[in-house]
Amino acid sequence: MLVANRGEIAVRVIRACHDLGLRAVAVYSDVDRDALHVRAADAAYPIGAAAPRESYLNAARIIAVARRAGCDAIHPGYGFLSENADFAQAVADAGLVFVGPPAKVQRVLGEKTAARRLARTVDVPVAEGTDPLRDAAAARGAAREIGYPVLLKPAAGGGGKGMRVVARDEDFEAAWRAATGEATAAFGAPALYLERQIAHARHIEMQILADRSGNVVWLGERDCSIQRRHQKLIEESPAPSVNESLRMKLGAAAVRIAERAGYVNAGTVEFLVEPTGEFNFLEVNTRLQVEHPVTEMVTGLDLVGLQLRIAAGEPLPFTQDEIVRRGAAIECRITAEDPFAGFVPASGRIAFVREPAGPGIRVDAALFSGMTVPSEYDSLLAKVIAYGSGRDEAIARMRRALEEMRVAGIPTSLPFHRAALFEQDFIVGRYDTDFVARWDPKKAPDLSDGAAASAALAAVLARRSRTEHRAVATPDDPWARAGREDALR
Amino acid sequence: MRYEVTLDDRRVRVDLSADGRFTLDDRVVAADVREIVRGRQWSIVLDGETHEITVVTHDPLRLDVDGRDVRATVIDERALRAGRGVVGMRTGRVELRAPMPGLLKTVHVNEGDTVERDTPIVTLEAMKMENELVAPIRGRVTKLNHRPGTKVEGGAVLAILVAE
Repeated sequence: MLVANRGEIAVRVIRACHDLGLRAVAVYSDVDRDALHVRAADAAYPIGAAAPRESYLNAARIIAVARRAGCDAIHPGYGFLSENADFAQAVADAGLVFVGPPAKVQRVLGEKTAARRLARTVDVPVAEGTDPLRDAAAARGAAREIGYPVLLKPAAGGGGKGMRVVARDEDFEAAWRAATGEATAAFGAPALYLERQIAHARHIEMQILADRSGNVVWLGERDCSIQRRHQKLIEESPAPSVNESLRMKLGAAAVRIAERAGYVNAGTVEFLVEPTGEFNFLEVNTRLQVEHPVTEMVTGLDLVGLQLRIAAGEPLPFTQDEIVRRGAAIECRITAEDPFAGFVPASGRIAFVREPAGPGIRVDAALFSGMTVPSEYDSLLAKVIAYGSGRDEAIARMRRALEEMRVAGIPTSLPFHRAALFEQDFIVGRYDTDFVARWDPKKAPDLSDGAAASAALAAVLARRSRTEHRAVATPDDPWARAGREDALR
Repeated sequence: MRYEVTLDDRRVRVDLSADGRFTLDDRVVAADVREIVRGRQWSIVLDGETHEITVVTHDPLRLDVDGRDVRATVIDERALRAGRGVVGMRTGRVELRAPMPGLLKTVHVNEGDTVERDTPIVTLEAMKMENELVAPIRGRVTKLNHRPGTKVEGGAVLAILVAE
């Protein structure tokens, strides 16, 4: 299996390969030679310069490597080439198996307005919106008709990139220009369409699996409402706002769309759910999702392993009725971004990493102490996933895990996540897509006296370690003993 | 050896004696200090509380203190005294003198440079410790008396600055 990706998802796919006894081949750009996915794989090939276009988006080179390395299949992970129908077709044309839906399915669902039309044909409600728009004037007319605020979306889009909310008519032209530019840069296609912006909505998505024989099942929903700039920060399953009857409706709607599209492999059908419980179809992500582990935790299934089995032509090993969901799982996406500075991305050297562990905690990451986080790629550093028999236990474990975790050297979203898990709205599960915007990045509390005193000692020792060669205190000096004894008094 | 440590906007005086005894802000503390990674990470048990401190960068000194990023500076007593041992403040002409005998390790500026207050002027090695002597005023460096590698006597004039 060639893994056409980097970072935590490449490591995740490599692990699934090894679980199934498959050899995994990594590819890496010039700045990723030291990366963990290169070391986790059985073989690794350089594919070019750091810029994605030169390496992880270089379809021809990746396919050439796969042939040279004797691979049978390519797993695209998420992002990069994962939703590129031309790539899926080129992989198939090269006589290799693409782990994901075939190119023709990707073409239909990847064009977002075509996916909306498809959803309507199987009676799935779709948010009020348009087909691809000709120009700014036509778009502005449509926006007035729908009523502000509206959402400008790239028709070829995905992952929230290039999306813009336009609140006022006078802002429309500028937003149109910016969104056209972003869509061209991100997807190579400038086409945009409009959707009505739904206030206080929850972003709920349904995981599906489909085999080559046309069997389609839904595995359960995830709430991904906690986002900033349309990028998710926290996801959980089950969604606190979704009751069993809504879950069944969403699952059935997702399966109808997948069946109509002739879907194969793992996919995600996204919906916006209004406080009233009304839902509207948004789009289908024709790939593995970043947040797939929360579904794995509550179903006990290995989604990547199942992707590989489906790609190999195996039928789904279970029916809809045999899928059991138990407990609750939450995922925090720890990103290299400064939550105290509007989540601006950061890069640089990580001096020290400690990943949390213990009951109910899973970490999907590609971190190590001393690594350099490159500036060329996505800011995701690690996914911390907490499982509990119920949501309260999952929250408690997540709080504990986030306290355990250390990523020293660059700003990370950890302070946001630590605070978010104590926000009343999160605790009661009554949050929506405005959660991050409402979050007040209070300055971190002052160091405690004990922490400050210890830090002062360490600062002196650090300084002396640089200027002096003898040890400052032997491990068992009388003061150290006294310190330990004091603690027991 | 006494040090003045700043942690973000907080100031702590640390006295570290040869037998490993610590005094913090004139209070003797029994701290169980373990060096986990040489020169980079310490586990410290103080008053029954456990803390972990990791060096993020040495220069400038940045620490991870129980998961919090903290900027730190450490000034030792010789550098403090050197800062005080300045003569001629009123005339605008300031001599930077060696607070103790030692080896002039590095000269950080050139004659004619204009420097901000607290800019490192020279590094003096004494008793296996490196001491940065900083500009006590903002001014122009008019004279540098010794080259790196020179042994200097206590009280020797190392540099002359004129206020600007």
